[in-house]
Amino acid sequence: MKVLAAGVVPLLLVLHWKHGAGSPLPITPVNATCATRHPCHSNLMNQIRNQLLQLNSSANALFILYYTAQGEPFPNNLDKLCSPNVTDFPPFHANGTEKARLVELYRIIAYLGASLGNITRDQKVLNPNALSLHSKLNATADVMRGLLSNVLCRLCSKYHVAHVDVAYGPDTSGKDVFQKKKLGCQLLGKYKQVIAMVAQAF
Amino acid sequence: MMDIFLCLKQPSRMVDSKRMRMTSNFQWILLTFLLLYLMNQVSSQKKRTPHDLKCVTNNLQVWDCSWRAPSGAGRGAAYEVCIENGSHSCYRLEKNTKIPALSPGDHEVTINFGSSISKFTLNEKDVSFIPDTPEILNLSADFSTSTLHLKWNDKGSVFPRHSNVIWEIKILRKKNMEIVKIMTHNTTLNGKDTVHHWSWTSDMPLECATHYVGIRCHIDDPKFSGHKEWSNWSLLKNISWSSDSQTKVFPQDKVILVGSDITVCCVTQEKVVLALIGSTNCPLIHLDGENVAIKIHNISASESSGTNVVFSVEDNMFGTVIFAGYPPDIPQKLNCETYDLKEIVCTWNPGRPTSLVGPRNTSYTLFESFSGKCVRYKRAEVPTNESYQLFFQMLSNQEIYNFTLNARNPLGQSESTLLVNVTEKVHPHTPTSVKVKDINSTAVTLSWHLPGNFAKIKLLCQIEINKTNSVHELRNITMKGVENSSYLIAVDKLNPYTIYTFRIRCSTKPFWKWSKWSNEKQYLTTEAIPSKGPDTWREWSSDGKNLIIYWKPLSINEANGKILSYNVSCSSDEETQSLSEILDPQHKAEIQLDKNDYIISVVAKNSVGSSPPSKIASMEIPNDDLKIEQAVGMGNGILLTWNYDPNMTCDYVIKWCNSSRSEPCLMDWKKVPSNSTETVIESDQFRPGVRYNFFLYGCRNQGYQLLRSIIGYVEELAPTVAPNFTVEDTSADSILVRWEDIPVEELRGFLRGYLFYFEKGERDTSKMRGLESGRSDIKVKNITDISQKTLRIVDLQGKTSYHLVLRAYTDGGMGPEKSMFVVTKENSVGLIIAILIPVAVAVIVGVVTSILCYRKREWIKETFYPDIPNPENCKALQFQKSVCEGSSALKTLEMNRCTPNNVEVLETRSMVPKTEDTEIISAVAERPEDSSDVEPENHVVVSYCPPVIEEEIANPGADEAGGASQVIYIDIQSMYQPQAKPEEEPENDPVGGAGYKPQMHLPVTSTVEDLAAEDDLDKTAGYRPQANVNTWNLVSPDSPRSTDSSSEIVSFGSPCSINSRQFLIPPKDEESPKSSGGGWSFTNFFQNKPND
Repeated sequence: MKVLAAGVVPLLLVLHWKHGAGSPLPITPVNATCATRHPCHSNLMNQIRNQLLQLNSSANALFILYYTAQGEPFPNNLDKLCSPNVTDFPPFHANGTEKARLVELYRIIAYLGASLGNITRDQKVLNPNALSLHSKLNATADVMRGLLSNVLCRLCSKYHVAHVDVAYGPDTSGKDVFQKKKLGCQLLGKYKQVIAMVAQAF
Repeated sequence: MMDIFLCLKQPSRMVDSKRMRMTSNFQWILLTFLLLYLMNQVSSQKKRTPHDLKCVTNNLQVWDCSWRAPSGAGRGAAYEVCIENGSHSCYRLEKNTKIPALSPGDHEVTINFGSSISKFTLNEKDVSFIPDTPEILNLSADFSTSTLHLKWNDKGSVFPRHSNVIWEIKILRKKNMEIVKIMTHNTTLNGKDTVHHWSWTSDMPLECATHYVGIRCHIDDPKFSGHKEWSNWSLLKNISWSSDSQTKVFPQDKVILVGSDITVCCVTQEKVVLALIGSTNCPLIHLDGENVAIKIHNISASESSGTNVVFSVEDNMFGTVIFAGYPPDIPQKLNCETYDLKEIVCTWNPGRPTSLVGPRNTSYTLFESFSGKCVRYKRAEVPTNESYQLFFQMLSNQEIYNFTLNARNPLGQSESTLLVNVTEKVHPHTPTSVKVKDINSTAVTLSWHLPGNFAKIKLLCQIEINKTNSVHELRNITMKGVENSSYLIAVDKLNPYTIYTFRIRCSTKPFWKWSKWSNEKQYLTTEAIPSKGPDTWREWSSDGKNLIIYWKPLSINEANGKILSYNVSCSSDEETQSLSEILDPQHKAEIQLDKNDYIISVVAKNSVGSSPPSKIASMEIPNDDLKIEQAVGMGNGILLTWNYDPNMTCDYVIKWCNSSRSEPCLMDWKKVPSNSTETVIESDQFRPGVRYNFFLYGCRNQGYQLLRSIIGYVEELAPTVAPNFTVEDTSADSILVRWEDIPVEELRGFLRGYLFYFEKGERDTSKMRGLESGRSDIKVKNITDISQKTLRIVDLQGKTSYHLVLRAYTDGGMGPEKSMFVVTKENSVGLIIAILIPVAVAVIVGVVTSILCYRKREWIKETFYPDIPNPENCKALQFQKSVCEGSSALKTLEMNRCTPNNVEVLETRSMVPKTEDTEIISAVAERPEDSSDVEPENHVVVSYCPPVIEEEIANPGADEAGGASQVIYIDIQSMYQPQAKPEEEPENDPVGGAGYKPQMHLPVTSTVEDLAAEDDLDKTAGYRPQANVNTWNLVSPDSPRSTDSSSEIVSFGSPCSINSRQFLIPPKDEESPKSSGGGWSFTNFFQNKPND
């Protein structure tokens, strides 16, 4: 399972990044046919809500686990090292229509999923013995993949949206270790903040 | 006077000395001026000629000489310089001239300038050697390693010969050019232009500040004797990091050795307020601009995620991660072996942890020097239980390998080597596919698979053979290795019809390591015929007509298979009779036989065949001299011994059974060889406390004779019940007790005796506690004669309850107790004596009293019952002197306190001396308040003391005795409330009593009669004092109040009759012994024994 996660997740990320990390993907034509491989679940919105709640409930624990694993002075300087000021983070408007919210959610989850992949990869190298952190990161990524699929299914089945332009965060592979730690911490801080808002909006 | 003279003389002396000093100074000044003049003359003479010749060289080949031009010589003036160095050579030159280097020694140099000629002596020693200023060809920086690379040319081609060169390089930092380091670098000039490289690693990242580098040189030519001087410094070159506006911290992701020092800087345009190493503050070192640095000394090992170093600005933090660790330790316990002679596996222990993980972790490379091949160690991404091992493919025709294991990480490397002959280091895999096949009932073949190509070596295999409930057996087998990995061997010396478990492991020769054991393989060998006949015994039935044949089932080792049936046959001299087949679970057969001598034969059969027959004779030889003996075992068995009897030719048989079972009884038997004289009988069926019968038979002439009959226990226990006992007879001093036998089953051992305890005691109160604790009041009788069934206990007390306890005991312990309470009969003689003695004493006392009274009757009469009482004898008026005198306790009759209110003299019919009526006026009536002040002499008290009447006084109310004649009553004031109960008065009516007769029936005076007539007749029916009896206080002399002798006013405790000495004494309290007669009985006599 670990091998699968270790192999598949980077592959998916690479496939996404192939077209340009940090820049929007090519936009699906408006009249593109929307077809899902499997029929969507009847109670899809409920599933999405549950997945959001699940992510929300585990976000803080993941955040704590992460900054603890980075060593001092991270736990005592969260305001400066892990402040959730991620500039290119996709916006979310809680008062928009369901379709708009779903599209924004899709962008957010896609952004977070890619970033989480970066973090997971970096932490496996940096903290190879922090197994609980790896496990939590993998579990969060799994839920996000499921959520992404459900959101897309909902968009496709109800709003006939087959494709959503997404943007990804910066690739950390070329950055120094401290930057990796800091960016990961900021991202997870942002994730904790955003997922609470999103879960409430749905 | 002298002082004045001295003062006058001193000034004249001082003037003289001043004069002399001024003359001397003047001479010196003149001399100085003269000297200066002469020098000026000489100098001006010189200035008119070339002077101050100086020569320097920068290449040792050409001297560059210069001199000062004479005064007046203009630019472009020409000089003729002639040098005398063996040959005369002259040069026409301007002011400076380059001349070829002169040979060592003095040379005359003549410089002609016009008409002036200057001559100099020039020697090499006067020449200075100043190399040309070096030029830095290139200065570059490796920022990742903070290293500066310097490149310059030594221009060695200009020098005629080889020389040593010292290069001095200086490093300056920051814009204010603080010298950081000056170092020297030695090279040699070799006659050619050579470019030199020099590198320097900065302790501070080069990004932190601009670094400048300069260089100069000093050429040490040993053949040049002149002054060798340093060249000038080259032009400084600098290195600076072109930073963008972003804040950055350097060095990034640096890996350093634990314990070293490191400088970390922050290149920023913001003001840094704080620097932290982990969570520890660090002082800032200010660099150019806002850049700052910190210095970390003796850094400790990092965690896996590194040591964070951060710089805090106002609203952000920037940082870097430093990984402090160790270089790899030398790989330890490097071991290379092979499992299959196809692949070599090398394992090692990494030694000390490096504290570096991920990409900074140690990488290993295994290099084989003979073949030149190597393999690299790849670590699993997620480390589990890391096993450091590498696989190296064996090469054909190579047995000896020289391995070098190299360990490397960013901090260094180490290595370990091993030379190994792999054919001697074979650790075979675990054998698999173990199979077993039959050969016969005692042999099988074992085959297994052992991966590997062992064709060139020998294998040593070990086979473990396990038999159920038996010690496992190991067999070593050496065999030649094969290429196809399949091996087969035969295993013999097995038992038929036995389940075996086989497993195998292998090693090679020479031995290195055993493989793991293979999986176990279980196999049942085939059957064989039973090896012997069953163990048989026979018993005659109780009626003696049938012979019952018993046999024991064969053991697994003897049966050699599953016993299906048994064949029983009997034979005599005449015939042989075969019975039908008896199927296995049944192990006995009954044959109807006469008393002839028969031989019984039993054969066991399995699927393969029949066992040899087992024979036994039916005849039983009688034995008249048979005794029953006793034996006790050792807990788990019982030892039987007997004397050797040469007549016993066959064997001995001991059979046994539970004694409580009826005949024929057989639990088991045991056969013992005829030469034995003892055996231990053991059986799982034996239980402690159970009686068994053992019978020893001897075999003689094909017949068995009962030799001994033994009853015994393997272990004796205490009886479970107490003997049932009864009291047969009881007398006043003895008890006869009888008890019954205890049943054998409850006895649980051989009875050794009884213990009988007895003590005084009632059923409810006495508890027979602690019989064994040696209580002195318990008497114990140990009855060791077990045939005794009665016991008489004597010397007992009559009419006493005794507690009797009886318990039996064996060698196994005491049985429970049974108790009984028995009361002995009364002792009649004692009773009679107890009755007769008091009666006799009473009679004797009575008789003696009667006699005395009779003989002293006159005296008694005179004393107690005089006919005419003598007033003189009235003691009432003599109390102070007689009765009351001397005893403070008897102050009740102090008459001075007994003040009568009035005295009445009553007329009686009896003849008594008439007393004159005397009226005494009561002081109380007259002056009640002054009653106590009445003087005694003013009163006339007329009293009369009647004779004392001896009569038992039952009540104070009955004390009102008085004489039959005139009686004077004294009304006594009392301060106390009377205690007498008025209602009791009628009961104490003295009318019905004997003795003193009161005045109630006498004629009284009219006054009295009037008074009496007013009262109720009942109340006057008796002796009545002339006062209210209710006011009397009935205080006994010994009552607390009466003993208040300190009081001045002592009242009477009772009314007092003046003519009587009897006082009305109230009855004593209940504790006083009752004197009422008729209460005594014999019963009381006995009850008042001290024992009670």
